[in-house]
Amino acid sequence: MTTSVKWQETDDIIRLSGIIKRFGGAQALSDASLAVRRGTVHGLVGQNGAGKSTLIKLLAGLHEADEGAIEIDGVAYAGLSPQQVGHLGIHFIHQDRLLVPTFTVGEALFLGREPRIAGTPFLDRKLMRQKSAEILDRYFGLRLPNSALIGELTAAEKQIVQITRALLDNPKVLVFDEPTAALVRREAELLFALIRRLRDEGITILYISHYLSEIVDLCDTVTVLRNGRDVATLAVGETSVREIGALMVNRDIAELYPKPKVAHGSPFLELQGLGLANRYADVSLTLHRGEVLGLTGLVGSGAKELLRTLFGLETATSGAVVIEGDTVFSASPAAATAKRLALVPEDRRRDGVALDLSVTENTTLASLDRFSRAGLLDKGAEKRKASELIERLQIKTDSADALVRTLSGGNQQKVAIAKWLSRQSEIYLLDEPSVGVDIAAKVEIYTLIGELAERGAGIIVLSSDIDELLGITDRVLVFFRGRITREFISAETSPGQVLAELTGANETLRHVG
Amino acid sequence: MAQSSPKPSSFNVRGLARYALVAAFVAVFAVFSAIAPAFLSGANLLSVLVNNFALLAIVAIAMTFAVAAGGIDLSVGTAIDFASFAFVSLVLAGQPIPLAILGALAGGSLVGVFNAILISGIGISPFLATLGTLFVGRSAQQLLTNGGNPVYLPPSGVPEAFRFLGHGVIAGIPVPLVVAFVLIAGAYLILSHTRFGRVVLATGIQASVVRYSGLALSRYTAATYVLVSVIAAVAGLIVTSTVTVYIPSSGNAFLLNAIGATFIGTTLDPHGRPNIPGTVLGVLLLSIVANGLLLSGLNFYWQQVATGLLIFSVLAIGFANRKAASRA
Repeated sequence: MTTSVKWQETDDIIRLSGIIKRFGGAQALSDASLAVRRGTVHGLVGQNGAGKSTLIKLLAGLHEADEGAIEIDGVAYAGLSPQQVGHLGIHFIHQDRLLVPTFTVGEALFLGREPRIAGTPFLDRKLMRQKSAEILDRYFGLRLPNSALIGELTAAEKQIVQITRALLDNPKVLVFDEPTAALVRREAELLFALIRRLRDEGITILYISHYLSEIVDLCDTVTVLRNGRDVATLAVGETSVREIGALMVNRDIAELYPKPKVAHGSPFLELQGLGLANRYADVSLTLHRGEVLGLTGLVGSGAKELLRTLFGLETATSGAVVIEGDTVFSASPAAATAKRLALVPEDRRRDGVALDLSVTENTTLASLDRFSRAGLLDKGAEKRKASELIERLQIKTDSADALVRTLSGGNQQKVAIAKWLSRQSEIYLLDEPSVGVDIAAKVEIYTLIGELAERGAGIIVLSSDIDELLGITDRVLVFFRGRITREFISAETSPGQVLAELTGANETLRHVG
Repeated sequence: MAQSSPKPSSFNVRGLARYALVAAFVAVFAVFSAIAPAFLSGANLLSVLVNNFALLAIVAIAMTFAVAAGGIDLSVGTAIDFASFAFVSLVLAGQPIPLAILGALAGGSLVGVFNAILISGIGISPFLATLGTLFVGRSAQQLLTNGGNPVYLPPSGVPEAFRFLGHGVIAGIPVPLVVAFVLIAGAYLILSHTRFGRVVLATGIQASVVRYSGLALSRYTAATYVLVSVIAAVAGLIVTSTVTVYIPSSGNAFLLNAIGATFIGTTLDPHGRPNIPGTVLGVLLLSIVANGLLLSGLNFYWQQVATGLLIFSVLAIGFANRKAASRA
């Protein structure tokens, strides 16, 4: 797998071309190329499953390409090892890179390359302190005591430790993978300033993010990945968030968000001044049959906790929940499901589906009563129900007996929903239903939500994807600091309006991805 | 550099794993019949079933429920002992046998209730909770018996019905074996064909999904540990009727073999789940190896080595399985 690509006059520090990578039968990358120019900030965007992380892992030497050429600084490599990548001066800052929480800052910074006092096996603690203090002070104007424990740091401080660790090696390229996911806005601004400064000092930055507005703010160039292929590389000055978004999904908005017109029926679920201490307060809303209600809010806004309360995972401290006239009190998920409530949780692989149970076993798990008589299971009936739902939801699986682990994210999500269809639940609480789901499955899930509404179910969708929320719901309620601060009619609202409300102060648009 | 398709390879390893358990049987049989002619005799094989297999099978199927639920029960021996103590005490007090049997089951299930409170109620991990129960149970028995003295039943004063449990025959089959078969069948039905069994397996695989599916997770877990102790209590009944003595803390002798048999048994399932037929095969394998080594005149202590080797092989197979699965 040697390459003979000639060194071009453009000064590219990283050149990946024609990369193909398969995992079993799945093709993660099919002819993906990426050329990063020296001394620039280069953005990399794409939907989940577009191949971003595969491409980055390949660059980090964690995966080997099946085909394609890799060229770093003008030298062609048949394959890379993580050590080699480090020697080439390419460093990675991950959103959740494992820093050992019980290490001190000093230990974490120098882990695996501790300087020794010359001629002795002893660590040169003084030199370690000096070097790290110098970098921390120079770039961050910050003194982190070397003895502080990693576990005590904030997300932003941990990131600083990671960046500092990389800077100690005089890197040529820094790769940031979703660096702002855990940061508040002020911290993100500081990070952007730092990235610009590093670029001005000659370090090349590869920046991966879902947030298109960040890309437009920060990057010089952006490469869009879709279905394992690079569909465009654009100068940021000549493009827009809209154009990048359209390239990522390759669809019209109308096609992306199918939404049937459903006449709303009687009030189904009513919340009357519901509150949970320190989480949210005074939440009143009415969900009608046939209605799709959207909720959104930043982390900690209380929207997620509200869904958890409705499903009996938290216990409200004030107010009432009324379902078709009956005041209900769900002290546990068991009680909530008995009231026809269904939760499709955000952490699908932990809470939504059992990865090592089969599609059939997952599908019937919430409705085993329907498939048993005197405690004895009717496995034939289970299988028939599962097959029916596999057909109806177009779940792509080898068989009803295949483990859910073998399914793609989108199909796992369909199983998580099928579980409640089998139970004939009527009030669906969907927490980030399209996270980690490929675009085709997303549309299928949206279609299914529409079908459920048509059948008279009530649906609450919590999502941080504003386009999605406005596309598939009737109304959107915005949570800010534990309260509903605004209600929007989805069809009459632009993403910008919701975003302004979401952040509490008409801040500039940040999350569009 | 193209990868071989992972699916067939994982299938092969799994297939091999299952084949290995059967192959182990064939090999063990062949080796022992060659070196110990008495091994293959009907009398010997029956004795293996009655003396080695029956009791261990009962304890191991109890253990299988705990492992299926994602936990373990280190206190099965304690349940055996409590049942045994209750049984002997009630018989000595002149109570009728049916009442003594109920008392024994209740005595054993106390251990399960205690575990259930620790695990479901307080949230202690099954390993630590049942380890604690094991220690508490041992001390309790020493206190009850003046420092661990056995309680003998006088040979004359034992009712016939009592002897029947340990030494009787139904349709030509010794009672302990009949009881083991009935429990095996019942346990298989419960674990593989009931709602309860499905929830237990799902709990062992991914407990949080069980909870998020609206199932009362803690009640199922509590019921599991009570069931484990009741099944173990039956083993306590049988062992007491056979030897007509209660020896404090003697039930722990079954613990490690029961765990070993359960994990050997997981290799029989295509997904590596604990299962009753697998556990029974595991018990059979361990029993035969123990008996064969004895007949071969090998040092008694080699039995432990052989058991260890069997479990090592299972772990190796299981590791290969996971490796194959993770590549998928």
